[in-house]
Amino acid sequence: MQLKQESNKILSKDHPEVIVCLKDVSVAYGKNIALYKINLDIEKGDFIGIVGPNGSGKTTLLKTVLGLIKPIQGNINLFNQQISGKIPREIKNKISYIPQFTPFDKNFPALVEDVVMMGRYSKIGMFRMPNKEDKEKVKQSLKLVKMDNMAHRPIGHLSGGQQQKVMIAQALATSPSILLLDEPTSALDFKMTKNVMDILKQLNERYGITIVTIHHNLRIIKSYTKRVIAINKTLVYDGSPNDALFDEIIEEMYI
Amino acid sequence: MGSFLDFFYALANYSWMQRAFYTALIVGIVGGIIGVFILLKGMVFLGQAIAHTAFAGAALAILLGIEPLYIIIVFGVIAALGVGYVNEKKVMKEDIIIGVIFTFFMALAIIFITLNKKYSTDVNAILFGNILLVSKLNFIVLLITLGIVGILILGLKKEYYLITFNSEIATVSGVPVKLLDYLLLVLLALTIDVSLKAIGAILVFAMIVTPAAAAYQWTFKINKMLLLSSIIGVISSIGGLFLSYLLNLSSGATIVSLSTLIFLFSFLVSPKRIKTGFTTAECKFCRHVINGESYCLDEPECRALDIPHYHDDKGIIILKKDIRPLSTLTRHKHDKKEEK
Ligand SMILES: Nc1ncnc2c1ncn2[C@@H]1O[C@H](COP(=O)(O)OP(=O)(O)OP(=O)(O)O)[C@@H](O)[C@H]1O
Ligand SMILES: [Mg+2]
Repeated sequence: MQLKQESNKILSKDHPEVIVCLKDVSVAYGKNIALYKINLDIEKGDFIGIVGPNGSGKTTLLKTVLGLIKPIQGNINLFNQQISGKIPREIKNKISYIPQFTPFDKNFPALVEDVVMMGRYSKIGMFRMPNKEDKEKVKQSLKLVKMDNMAHRPIGHLSGGQQQKVMIAQALATSPSILLLDEPTSALDFKMTKNVMDILKQLNERYGITIVTIHHNLRIIKSYTKRVIAINKTLVYDGSPNDALFDEIIEEMYI
Repeated sequence: MGSFLDFFYALANYSWMQRAFYTALIVGIVGGIIGVFILLKGMVFLGQAIAHTAFAGAALAILLGIEPLYIIIVFGVIAALGVGYVNEKKVMKEDIIIGVIFTFFMALAIIFITLNKKYSTDVNAILFGNILLVSKLNFIVLLITLGIVGILILGLKKEYYLITFNSEIATVSGVPVKLLDYLLLVLLALTIDVSLKAIGAILVFAMIVTPAAAAYQWTFKINKMLLLSSIIGVISSIGGLFLSYLLNLSSGATIVSLSTLIFLFSFLVSPKRIKTGFTTAECKFCRHVINGESYCLDEPECRALDIPHYHDDKGIIILKKDIRPLSTLTRHKHDKKEEK
């Protein structure tokens, strides 16, 4: 496939800090190449949508950035630090991840506030208990997603959209610089989807959190994200979602 | 048959009864604690395999005429590591492997037992256990081992909780998931191994799973579940010790029967099943709960409001007017504290 890549960064007026940088990164599962020579810069403050057909490597891309999968070639830089092997703790603490939605066991013994508190665990450390500050942070995070009124409900008793908001609160409790989300709205109806996207937008605009989110819904991508990345094993587009070229590429890709 | 007073007389005066009492207490507490995470992690079958491997170890020890405890521990820990490896690498479907390992070690155990021409009472003791016959050595090993197991599990409670919730998130946030998974299996093996003499190879696993399963019925809080599970463990083990002494029954079987009764009772009156009417209409696709508390007909501004929806055969479409109220779909009381 032809590699069409746009490099005009609309937003780079001054010099925004690059916090994730992939250079020629390829990833394989056994002999199957899932990603081939991906080059990607994510800047502080970006709100990026990732699109691509099923099996195109979107989840793989996020997991590679997170260090859950090791690339077979290429370089990964996180927060200006070359990553080889394990990601150092102080960098891990800046990155938060919400995996693809899996329903909870209805009776899983966790209240909403417990789930959000899990976001604090890495800061608290092993063999230690949460303190007042952690509890305060949990409350704040729940407020941000407007779920503070449900803090004492069992997590399994919420609807899919409410659970997704709790997961966002959990991610927020880590005070991340960058938030990676894998299809955060795939299980939600339209109203809830907008609700969740509005929250992400607010986090991006008001709190400066960099957001990278996988989506299948192009309409949502166009109305919320500043920058879209299309992948199909390789990077096929990187630029504004409202560019005519993007529509062309999408059409080509999904045929 | 012992009498009521005999039991307390023995408890006050004889070290074997005191040992039995403390064994029951500790196995109850620690079995209850570790059981919670075994249950939440869905590792119940792995544990069963470990228990049977430990039995094979015991059979071998008896055949060789050495103290079973050491060989049991070696076998148990090796089994835990093996099971953990198989589980991690996903070599094959879990239940197939467990089935294969489990039966193989039972076969080994039977071979060891039959090689040992005279059927020794030791085999009986390992299979069915007798809490009154826990030796001094076994007691000390049990005390130290279970002490360590209990402290480690409680100390790593947060991490295990997060792993059971979502192991990917745990990995990303820096929890050494693989290491802790192996550790949990080893701790489980140790718990089983040192309790084998008291409860018996066939039943020991019930001491770990049943109290946790009973506690699960009662609460949505992990700390409460841990506490309840160990309380139920202690009630069953000490109650079982008392009853078995009184009625001259097998101690292991009595303990396990008692905890099963508590489980049954918990299951039947579980607040999770009764108070919340959540079991009826739950959409597999979006997990919207269409009845019970989260659907409110009273106040349109209620923040617990979910969008009433209806699914076509593909499971996605939302039709606001088409929703068919279920019998349980009525009004819910507004908890003033929560709504504010
Ligand atoms: N654990 C795995 N082992 C082997 N192959 C895998 C694994 N995970 C993904 N793959 C393969 O890698 C490719 C990319 O998968 P990935 O999950 O990244 O796709 P995706 O774009 O997220 O798809 P979807 O939209 O369906 O979520 C697919 O061909 C998939 O079959
Ligand atoms: Mg995916």
